[in-house]
Amino acid sequence: MSVISQLTKALPKNTVIIGDENTRPFECDGLSVYKQKPLAVVLPRDISQIKKVLEICRKNNTPVVTRGAGTGLSGGATPLEGCVVLGLSRLTRIISIDAENKTAIVEPGVRNLAISDAVEEFDLYYAPDPSSQIACSIGGNVAENSGGVHCLKYGLTVQNIEAIKIITIDGEELLLSRQDKGLGLLALMNGSEGLLGVITEITVKLTQKPQLAKLVMAGFSSVRDCANAVAEIIKAGIIPSGLEMMDKFAIEASEAFAHPGYPVDAEALLLCELDGAEDTVVHDLNKVVELLSKATSMRISENEDERLLFWKGRKSAFPAIGRLSPDYYCMDGTIPKRHLADVLEQISNLSEQYKLRVANVFHAGDGNLHPLILYDAGRPGELEKTEDFGMDILKLCIEVGGSITGEHGVGIEKLDAMCHQYNSAELDVFHQIKAAFDPHSLLNPGKAVPTLHRCAELGRMHVHHGNLPHPELERF
Amino acid sequence: MRSIAELQNQVRSGSQLRITNHEKDSDETFVNMSLYSGIVEYFPEELVVTLKAGTTINEVNQILGENNQALPFYIDNPDKTIGSLYATSGPEFSDSVLGVQIINGKGELLNFGGQVMKNVAGYDVSRLLVGSMGRLAIVTQISLKILPKKIAVKFQNQPSLKNTKPTLGLYFEQKLKKVFDPYGVFL
Ligand SMILES: Cc1cc2nc3c(=O)[nH]c(=O)nc-3n(C[C@H](O)[C@H](O)[C@H](O)COP(=O)(O)OP(=O)(O)OC[C@H]3O[C@@H](n4cnc5c(N)ncnc54)[C@H](O)[C@@H]3O)c2cc1C
Repeated sequence: MSVISQLTKALPKNTVIIGDENTRPFECDGLSVYKQKPLAVVLPRDISQIKKVLEICRKNNTPVVTRGAGTGLSGGATPLEGCVVLGLSRLTRIISIDAENKTAIVEPGVRNLAISDAVEEFDLYYAPDPSSQIACSIGGNVAENSGGVHCLKYGLTVQNIEAIKIITIDGEELLLSRQDKGLGLLALMNGSEGLLGVITEITVKLTQKPQLAKLVMAGFSSVRDCANAVAEIIKAGIIPSGLEMMDKFAIEASEAFAHPGYPVDAEALLLCELDGAEDTVVHDLNKVVELLSKATSMRISENEDERLLFWKGRKSAFPAIGRLSPDYYCMDGTIPKRHLADVLEQISNLSEQYKLRVANVFHAGDGNLHPLILYDAGRPGELEKTEDFGMDILKLCIEVGGSITGEHGVGIEKLDAMCHQYNSAELDVFHQIKAAFDPHSLLNPGKAVPTLHRCAELGRMHVHHGNLPHPELERF
Repeated sequence: MRSIAELQNQVRSGSQLRITNHEKDSDETFVNMSLYSGIVEYFPEELVVTLKAGTTINEVNQILGENNQALPFYIDNPDKTIGSLYATSGPEFSDSVLGVQIINGKGELLNFGGQVMKNVAGYDVSRLLVGSMGRLAIVTQISLKILPKKIAVKFQNQPSLKNTKPTLGLYFEQKLKKVFDPYGVFL
């Protein structure tokens, strides 16, 4: 019996989806340049159905690609040839809310923002806020260890998860909790990109809504002045709840799109949000205003509507820039903040060299850059050129001591870049971790970690942490 | 002061090693990390400090204190080294971990994570090994997120769960031990 027949037989009606027309919405994730038809898409409604899918796939040696909302930006949920897509979008129950202990237990398909909506009556919210939060699922957030504009103060996903349940490909259920003793298995699952297990239940930590939040918006006549202001604020002992930067191109695009009142004549914009108890916010606010002495313009949100409006420009920066070009490619490198101005200068040089425009938005507080490269996939060779440009940016991030991805994950997109960040012994550890949980490599195989062969093929000398391999050897 | 090369040699030629921070544990079955200490890198505006594993909390506190910054987790005894805290702590500690350098059971020097706030490239080995009680690898260097003192104290006052026994209870923990220490060098 074929895999499809086995699945259809074992599961209720309307659970197994087949046929090009029906599976088309599942052919890609948010990185739509990569597309692949799956063998079938299965949309289970409960854990026992997930187990059945895994069992059938295991017995038939069929790869499984778990999918949340499909908003990922690195191809993590892109189907693989002949795979079953295990879509969790129907598991949307909020199982329980414990307002006293500030936790909630939810199913993996629950949308990020739906959690905050559900606990609003208790004056609580779920802190990590990826810009995709109206759509992305909490299961996907855990699988990517997603960030957002508030993680400098409130942490990434990993710091906001109390416990998870996972099912391994062998059907074993594990409960991993912050209360466990021993290895950090819960942390390991955060950011595991669907390669180690299927996350079936999540206990999230909730955060008390702040008494007051104020957003300072400051324009600068140079990127360097803006970057220096970021360092000054942090050195002064202030941890803003958000600390975001945009360059001139991004400011103009966002202003035209969302009309938040951004200073379009500025070279760089800083958004600095302070939240907490009223007296602390007022105190920190005064200090920040003092530190922003080089700003050419400054506004402080006067009420909630205005604060949200100032944010709206930043949060809609991707679509705002996207509409200026047929296509755009979003990068996600991280760097130590002190190199910010230099790295931006080099990105701008590369932009001239490749003759491709770039807009820059970043989580400046934690050194996470999102250069958006504008291109036209319709022009022959332009996608390849864009990818080369992107790789140059990522290599630059590695060179200054950063990483190729801060929150979007590796997926299929950054497999080559991984060869630059890790040496073969380190990659081998990753492969072995995968094998410890998934010995037959059926869960999202081939994603997130490049084969050693692939890296060797790339043929590039691996420079790790500034050290050449075998430095004792002469090079010509 | 010990060197990485020395430590690697000890792993490659040793069979049953115990990682320790006590000077008196000096025969060849002990890997004494207290001699491998010092601040590798510290930029206050990055909120990141990178330390050799044998650095004591007292030393770290002193340097961070000069900039009104501090370690944001519970510390039961500031005479301990950062490496020993790493080996025995839980999530309250790993929340602040950004990267590690380790020597695995094959004597290979490996780096995971980094010195930046955000890094999701590859599995999160730097947090996985928190609480590993020295049974999987020698942790040589640790990068940590730090905070302004007035914010860090909140976290310092929350006692954390301690690992007390070097148990790798779960089946998957046993498997992971083999990944890092295939020959069973670390007792
Ligand atoms: C406009 C836009 C803005 C964005 N902004 C941000 C941002 O600010 N910060 C940020 O971090 N990301 C951002 N993203 C990226 C994306 O939204 C996040 O990565 C998100 O967490 C993905 O969730 P998802 O439910 O869509 O997951 P999917 O895309 O469906 O899957 C992502 C990965 O997780 C795996 N997976 C999903 N669910 C499970 C599960 N239950 N168990 C095991 N594995 C699973 C998949 O196999 C895949 O590898 C943005 C995306 C878009 C389109």
